[in-house]
Amino acid sequence: MRAEFKVGKLDMLRMHIDVIREAFKQVIVPDRITVEYPRERKKYPANFRGLIFCDRDKCISCFRCAHVCPANAIQIYFYEKAWPGIDYTKCIFCHFCVDSCPTGALRPTKIHDMAFATMEEMKLKATQTIKPPEVFREDLLVVEYQVDEKGWKLVRKKERDELIVEVLPPRIRRKISTCVDPESCLGCKLCVELCPSNAIAVDRKVNKLKILSEKCTGCGICVRNCPMKVLELKEVK
Amino acid sequence: MEMLDALMQIFKSNMLEIPAIQPIVDPLMQIPWLNLLVALLLWRPFFAIVVMPGLLVLMICLLYIIWFERKLTARIQWRVGPLEVFRPLRGAIQALADGLRYFFQESIVHKEAHRPYFVQLPILAFIPVLLPIAFIPAGNVVGIKTPYAIPLIVAFLSLIPITVVAIGWASNSRFAFIGSVREALMYVAYEIPFIIAVISMIYLYGSADPYVAVEKQSIPGALLNPVAFLVFIISMLMATSRLPFEIPEADQEIAFGPFVEYSGMLFGLVMVLAYEKLYIMSLLFTILFLGGWSGPQLAILGDLNAPLWLVIKTLIVISVLVIVRSMYARFRIDQALRIGFSWLLAFAIIALAIGVVLGYEGGI
Amino acid sequence: MREVAIDVPVEPPKELESLFLPVPKEYVEEAYKKDEFLVLVGPQHSGSGHMRLIVRVKGDVIQEVIPDPGYVHRAIEKLAENRLYIQNIPLVERPAIMDSANLNLGYVRAIEDAMEIEVPDRAKYLRTILAELCRIGTHLYDAAILSVFLGHTTGFMYPFGIRELICEALVKMTGARFTSSFIIPGGVRRDVEKETLAWIYSATFAIERRLKSFERIFIKNPTVIARLKEVGVLSKKEAIEFGVVGPFLRASGVEYDARKVEPYEAYDRVDWDIVVADEGDSYSRLLVRANEIGQSLKIIRQCITDIPEGKVISDQICEGNDIRGEFFDKLADIVLPTGEYTTITEAGRGSVIFTIVSDGESNVPYRLRIVTPGWLYLRGFVESLKGERLADLQAIYGSFGYFPPEADR
Repeated sequence: MRAEFKVGKLDMLRMHIDVIREAFKQVIVPDRITVEYPRERKKYPANFRGLIFCDRDKCISCFRCAHVCPANAIQIYFYEKAWPGIDYTKCIFCHFCVDSCPTGALRPTKIHDMAFATMEEMKLKATQTIKPPEVFREDLLVVEYQVDEKGWKLVRKKERDELIVEVLPPRIRRKISTCVDPESCLGCKLCVELCPSNAIAVDRKVNKLKILSEKCTGCGICVRNCPMKVLELKEVK
Repeated sequence: MEMLDALMQIFKSNMLEIPAIQPIVDPLMQIPWLNLLVALLLWRPFFAIVVMPGLLVLMICLLYIIWFERKLTARIQWRVGPLEVFRPLRGAIQALADGLRYFFQESIVHKEAHRPYFVQLPILAFIPVLLPIAFIPAGNVVGIKTPYAIPLIVAFLSLIPITVVAIGWASNSRFAFIGSVREALMYVAYEIPFIIAVISMIYLYGSADPYVAVEKQSIPGALLNPVAFLVFIISMLMATSRLPFEIPEADQEIAFGPFVEYSGMLFGLVMVLAYEKLYIMSLLFTILFLGGWSGPQLAILGDLNAPLWLVIKTLIVISVLVIVRSMYARFRIDQALRIGFSWLLAFAIIALAIGVVLGYEGGI
Repeated sequence: MREVAIDVPVEPPKELESLFLPVPKEYVEEAYKKDEFLVLVGPQHSGSGHMRLIVRVKGDVIQEVIPDPGYVHRAIEKLAENRLYIQNIPLVERPAIMDSANLNLGYVRAIEDAMEIEVPDRAKYLRTILAELCRIGTHLYDAAILSVFLGHTTGFMYPFGIRELICEALVKMTGARFTSSFIIPGGVRRDVEKETLAWIYSATFAIERRLKSFERIFIKNPTVIARLKEVGVLSKKEAIEFGVVGPFLRASGVEYDARKVEPYEAYDRVDWDIVVADEGDSYSRLLVRANEIGQSLKIIRQCITDIPEGKVISDQICEGNDIRGEFFDKLADIVLPTGEYTTITEAGRGSVIFTIVSDGESNVPYRLRIVTPGWLYLRGFVESLKGERLADLQAIYGSFGYFPPEADR
C-alpha cells in the first residue's frame, strides 16, 4: 500500500475550507470528552489494577508476594504472623503479587487516586494494608464510554461506582508440603526452623521428617529453602 | 478657586450627555469638589482616553479576550478550558488570576541582560500602544480630534516592533536574539501591505479623517474593497504574531523569542503587548471596514451609543480572529516572508487600484 | 542565494566550556572562526525531548547536528541482570510507555524461544490485538508531539483524545491503562471476555471516525503540508545506509516490516499491507504512520472476528486456563537453557531486538540486550537535518517521533 497525497492548487483551497469547517463545527457542536474528575468518575472494569489490600484471615504468610515483586515494594512485617506491607513509593501496580497469591488474600481495588502527605506515609505497614482506605468521594456521576459506528460518546449515569470490587477468587487449591525423597534428606532441620506454623517435626530416632498436615498452610517456605530439594507442594483432594 | 472654576467651565462645556445616568449625575454635580471629579470623568476627551474606548475598556478587553481565546480553543479541542477559578462564570476571571500571579512573582533580571533597558522597555513599549487611543474617535467622544487620525494610528502602530526588537537586544540571549531578528523580518513583510491597504481605504474615502470614513460607509468598507479587507486581516495576524504567523515567539523553536528571559510582572507586561496591539488594530479595522461607530441609536444612552457600538464591533472582530489559533500550524520564517512579499503585496496593490478607481474625484 | 558575511572576529562564549559538550574544544573554536555558531537545543527546551542537540548553524541553515543522548539512560540492561526472568517483564516495558506491549512481546518471545513453549492460538490473537493497540497509541502520540512542535495545539489534543480510547481498551483487557505486563511466557495473564472484545471492535470504528476529524484539521492542513513537504528528506539509499528502521524506513520506499518478514503471533493469519511512501520527507513519514493506524485497526478487527476459543496459557506452564494464584509457583523460577536467544519484533517506531544470554543455571539472565528503534534511527535523524533551516529542526524531530527514553533505555 502506498501512502501518497498529491496536492493540487485547487485542493489547497478545499483543504483550507475543510479546516475552517471542522473548526466551526466543533465550536457549534463540540465533541467534548472531558471527564470532570472529582465530580464524576470514569467507570473502570472489575479487573482494574489499583490499590491493593490484604485479607488477613486468608493470608498464609508465604512470602510469595514479596518474592515476586519486580520493584521490591513489598516488605513483610512480623506481628502475630508475617504480613505484607506495601511501599507505594515503589509499587508499579503490575499486580504480580495479586496473581501470585495462592489463597486470594491480596485483593485489588479500583482506587487509583491516593494522596500522601509525606514519603514516609507512602510506606504502608502491614497494619495499614489490612483494610481498604477511606475514600472521600465528591463524585455524583459515573461516566462510561459508549462507542459504535457513529462515534464516541460519553454516557453519564447518576450512580456511584463501587471502588472495592468483589473479585472472583482464583481457583484455590489447598496444598501441603510433602517429602518426596526422604532418602536424600540431610536432616539439617532448616525446614523445622523456618516453618512459621510449626508444622514440621523430626522424628529423632529415624531422623525423618514428619509434616503435620492439619497445621501446614502450604506456604512453601520449606520447599524453597530445602538445600536438597526433597520437599514439594502437593495438592490435597 | 478661580482656577478650579475655570477648569470646571472647561469640563462642563464638553460633557457627555447620557440620559440614562442623568438622575445620578445631577445631584452629584451639586456637591462641591466631587462635582469636579464627575465633570472630569464625563469630560469627553478624558472619557475617550481613560474609559471608552480607552484604557478601561482595553483592560476589560484583555481579560475577556485571553479568557475567550482559551475557552474557544478548548471547545474546538474537545476540552472545557478554564473553569475552576470562578465556576459560576465558567472561569471568566482566569486571566485576572494569572495577572495576579505574575504580579506577585519575582521578576528575575539575569546577569547578561542590559539591566536598565531590560526593565524599562516593557514599560516603554506601552507608549506606542497607548498613544493611538488618544486619536481614535468614537462619535463625538474623542481625545484629540484631528483629520489625520488614521495615518497617526498607523504610524504609532509601526513603532511597537521597534520596542520588541529592543527588548530582544536588551535580553542578550541567543533565543531572544533570533526572535528579534525574526520580528524585524516579519515587520518589513507585513508593514508594507498593511500600509498600502490602509492607503487604499484612505483613497476610497477621499480623506484620512475617520469621521469622513465612517460617514461614507453606507455600505461597509469590507464590501467596497474586499481585497483590502483580506490583506488587512492577514497582516493583522502577522502583526500581532498569531498563528499561523506566530514566528517571532515560536515556543517550540525559540522558546517565546524576544521575551524568553522575562518573568513575573515584566513577563505579564510583554505577554499582553500583542493583545493590546490586536485591540488597537481591531479598532482601526472596525473604523475602516465595518462602519465604525454607526449602528442603531438608543436615545437613552445619548452620547454613549457611539463608543459602545465601536467596542462591541471590535470585540466581535477579535473574537472571530482568535479562532485561527486553533486551526493552523506555524509557518516557517521564509514561507511567511514569501507570503508577505509576493501575493500579500500583490493583493495590496490590487486593493490600492480598487481604492483609487472607486475613490476617484473626492471619494464615493 | 547570495551569501553576505560580516567579518567580525567572534570568540566562543565562555558558557560553552562549562556545559560538558561532547565535542572537542577545537571544534567549537573552528565553528566560531568560520562565521558559524552553536545552538544548544535541549535538554531544557520546549522543542526537544530529554536530549541535547548541538546544532552548528550558519545563519539560519543547519550545517551539522551532533546528538547528545543519554539524559534518560536508566541502565535497563544492567538492571535486568539481577532480576528474575519474570520480574524483567515490567522492566522491559519501561523504555517506551505507550509501546509497552510490543517491547514486552519481544522479551517474552525470546524466553519462549529458549524454553520451546508452544503458545495457544487464542493467546496469540490476544497478543496481536494488544500489540496493535499499542502501535496505534504510539503513532497517535508521535503525531501529537509533531503537531505541537509545529505550534498546532489542536493537532496535539486530538490524538491524545483518541488515545484515551486505546487506554480504555487496554484497561478493559488488562486492567492497566498502559504498561500492562499482560504478556507472560506461555500466553497471557488472563482470558479476555467476549464483551470486552466486542467493545474494542466497535471502538475501532469510533477511532476511525475521530481520526477523520484529525485528518481534516491536521494531516491535510495546508500549513502543515507547507511545513513538512520536502523537509528532512532521506533517500532510499541513505535510509538503508544509516540503518533507519520501522515506518521511517518505509517512508523512504523500502518495503520492510518484521511482521511480514518473520511473522510472529497471528500476523501471518490476518490480511494486511505494508504501508510505503516514496518521498522520504517529513510529510511522508507522517502519512505512513497515519495509514498504518488504518492497517492496525484492520488487523484488530480481523483478530476479533477470527479469534478461536481455547486456552490462553500453554500447557507447559500451567494445567488450568488461568495463571492467577499460581503465578509465582509456575513462573518465578524458570531457568533458560544455556545459549543466546534473539528475537526481532516490529514495535511502533521500528524493529526492536531482544537478546537474552543465559548461563543455563541461574534464574536471572546473564545478559539482556535491548536494541530499541530510537537508537537505530538516531543517525538517520541527525543526517536528515543537514541543510535544513533551524525552524525545521522541530518539524523533523517530530516527524521521526524520536523518543529519548526509548533510545537511551
